[in-house]
Amino acid sequence: MSGRLSAAVKPKPLTARNHHDVSRFTFGVNPAVIKDVRTRGSSNVWFDAQLRPTTIKDSAADAAASWFPRLAHGPGQAWSEVKAGRASAWDYGMDFTSWTLARRILSNRQAHEVMSDFWSNLLYIPACEDRSFPWRHSYDQVIRKNALSSYGALLRAAVVHPAMSGWLTNHENTKRGVNENLGRELLELFTVGRGSGYTEADVLNASRLLTGFRVRIFDGYDASYSPNDHWTGPVTVLGFRHANSDPDGRPALAALLTYLSTHPATAERIARRLCRRFVRDEPPGAIVKAVATAYSRSGGDVKASLKALRAHPEYYASRRSKLRTPVEDAINVARLLGMRPTGRGNDHGFVRQLVWMSESMGQQPFRWPRPDGFPETSEVYASPARMLRSWELHYALPGNWWKSTAMTRPKQASTLPTQWPRRLDEIVEHQSRMLLGRSADPEALRAISRVLQRPASARWRRASEVDPWHLIVIRGTLLNTPHGMLR
Amino acid sequence: MNETEPCGCPDYTMTRRSLLRAAGLASAAGVVTSMTGGALTSTVFGSTDANVLVVLSLRGGADGLSMVVPHAEPAYHAARPSTAIKATQVLHRDDTFGLHPAFAPLSPWWGRGELAAVHAVGLPAPNRSHFEAMEIIEDADPGSAARIGWINRMIAGLAGPTDVMRGLQLGNTTMPTALLGPAPTLATGRLDDLTMPMHEDRRITGVLEDTWRRQYGGRNDLLGRAAGDALALAKRSATISSAVEREPANGATYARYSEAGAALAHGAALIKAGVGVRALAVDAGGWDHHAGLRWNVEDTIGKLATDLAAFFTDLGPHASRVTLITLSEFGRRLQENGSAGVDHGYGNCVLLMGAGVRGGRYYGRWPGLGEAQQVDGDLAVTTDYRSLLGEVLAARFPEVDLSQVFPGVARDPLGVMR
Repeated sequence: MSGRLSAAVKPKPLTARNHHDVSRFTFGVNPAVIKDVRTRGSSNVWFDAQLRPTTIKDSAADAAASWFPRLAHGPGQAWSEVKAGRASAWDYGMDFTSWTLARRILSNRQAHEVMSDFWSNLLYIPACEDRSFPWRHSYDQVIRKNALSSYGALLRAAVVHPAMSGWLTNHENTKRGVNENLGRELLELFTVGRGSGYTEADVLNASRLLTGFRVRIFDGYDASYSPNDHWTGPVTVLGFRHANSDPDGRPALAALLTYLSTHPATAERIARRLCRRFVRDEPPGAIVKAVATAYSRSGGDVKASLKALRAHPEYYASRRSKLRTPVEDAINVARLLGMRPTGRGNDHGFVRQLVWMSESMGQQPFRWPRPDGFPETSEVYASPARMLRSWELHYALPGNWWKSTAMTRPKQASTLPTQWPRRLDEIVEHQSRMLLGRSADPEALRAISRVLQRPASARWRRASEVDPWHLIVIRGTLLNTPHGMLR
Repeated sequence: MNETEPCGCPDYTMTRRSLLRAAGLASAAGVVTSMTGGALTSTVFGSTDANVLVVLSLRGGADGLSMVVPHAEPAYHAARPSTAIKATQVLHRDDTFGLHPAFAPLSPWWGRGELAAVHAVGLPAPNRSHFEAMEIIEDADPGSAARIGWINRMIAGLAGPTDVMRGLQLGNTTMPTALLGPAPTLATGRLDDLTMPMHEDRRITGVLEDTWRRQYGGRNDLLGRAAGDALALAKRSATISSAVEREPANGATYARYSEAGAALAHGAALIKAGVGVRALAVDAGGWDHHAGLRWNVEDTIGKLATDLAAFFTDLGPHASRVTLITLSEFGRRLQENGSAGVDHGYGNCVLLMGAGVRGGRYYGRWPGLGEAQQVDGDLAVTTDYRSLLGEVLAARFPEVDLSQVFPGVARDPLGVMR
């Protein structure tokens, strides 16, 4: 395997520009991503290809679906399983969560995975939740299908989905008793936001347009539309007006959603959120404006918005300034170390353990309890407790201290250079380039040398002489540098 | 090199537990001695017998009208045909109010004058958004663009050296807005694993600490601050984990399956251990009752009451320095909705419990529930929550400069604190 990146004594990292791009739009810059960018010539070409995910072969990630047979259950079947005591909403949610993490590790369509996560966290529905669990995976398919298309299309599909009806109790919203839960979040979280100046009457009218969607919660979870339950009569929401005289209110609702998705306040909010994720916690106004303009001009097109974001100087200026969220942290390290899930596994299965690893650092995937999704800002994840657990995990993963099952990882020799003997400083430099895409921090080399009680000039005669413990210390200490924590 | 022991610490968890136990027994309350990088250092915690503020956030928007029931208001009974609590059902009834019957576990505290309720409290302007309302409540400084929470500003104003244990959120490792800011604070779910990697080996831990101090120490950003606080925290991990290993005291029993109860139990353990906790934030979720208010709120109040009773029982004599306040982002609408629930509203009640509280009675400037008194169909707000918090801080933390914690807020005490 001389073609592998790690064969070289000094593996060549990507340029800073290319590395920045892939560190923001993948869940971890591993040798496969580096090779892909090199083959294509630049991260620009790589990104364009990533925007057409169906043209990228992805058999390893697709195979992960077969590890979780429950994901294929329709809502009726899921409910029967729960009623019969063979599974719980929690089991369904954990399968969904584990499958998602497996995809993020394995997929070649990394930008699609990242954007699916982004929208999924905006139009957020938790996993394991009683009123939505049988529909949660189906909802995810809607997000994935629209993740790179237009926000209007995504919004129109997501808001009316039975999982959303259940989660935000819209199934109980009828002309006889309006329930404002979803109507309010539609305006506040999913589109224009509070700053747009909508009134309580606007919330009520949006909620009225949302009447008619039924889901038989705790009873088979069948979803239907009931014109008898739809509130008819003229409505106005901000500048939107509709006669809403048809008992089938779905076209009127779709018109409202289209109006809201292209509203300037929505453009600004989506642009700001994109910039929070891909630029910095408090993005400069100029880049938010540039993205919002591109969003508006393209009618809410995701690709056009991302193009404007990546083209703006503030994007490149923001490199290595975002602290990874705990989930991103765990997945990133798994990818960098080539740790790949091979199945669902038992309680020690790798994907399931990644859920607990993330949880210990402060973020259990899909378990944020509120409709606003996990914060996109880094600051909330910078608790001292999180730091301690990240530092610990960055040694635990290279050492497989959690004794994960259903996981493969590369043979040690294949992660090291082919030419020997090598000095400690050369091995550390090699690993730093492989894991972090940059030269080793001198402080890290000094620390590794002190922990191993070997001078930087100590020699190893061949790859097989490198003890696993040496590599744990080298890799963990590199991952624990500030650069290792940031994307 | 030995191939069969890849990490050099074969039985990681076992070793850790026994080591922690030993260390916990050896350390005196208030002072921990640790070997770091070969040097013996002692860290003195913040004062161990100082006053403590506990902020219990009732997330989701608690229905204050079910908790502290305005039983004498005809409008209340008319607006809630299926969910109103009858005057004959409430506890500790006065002419205007009574407590929901599920508060029964707290009756001894009410009777001793250690529990008070304040009504019609909230934000100065209505905000029916969970997220914005919480954000505003926890930032509490609408005039400033800086993201600094009020508990962080409070901690910064305390006398004595800063310390990471002063401001804590227990139950969740994600930082709440109230704690964000330049003063060191800590958010954590668990407390038994706040250790350095490979902490069984003090030589290695010393090297890592030394390294990270240099690598992160020069960064004047949130990562640098978090790392510095993490290193300070790890020095105390043995004391902390041995404190939370102990069973609740005095027969205290927290509610089953209550995350808030588990967090309060940890909080009580840390307060009793004297590790310098001054402000403790705990979330009690599950109050967003858009549907089925009657049964849901009875269950949620029951859990809350059980947990609060357990917490103050558990504290024992330390209760004399602990004051607890409940906050929620907003109250609920007066009129019940089509799902026998209540949508987002405005004015709300606040419970105050423990040290310094002049309890056993209801406070507030009750605006009434008549149509002319409502704000968009909700209970009005007559007491700014920041004024109430200011009253508590002035009584219990007199060294804190309130104009720094709640800038621009006029003080308007209700006399709820001694």
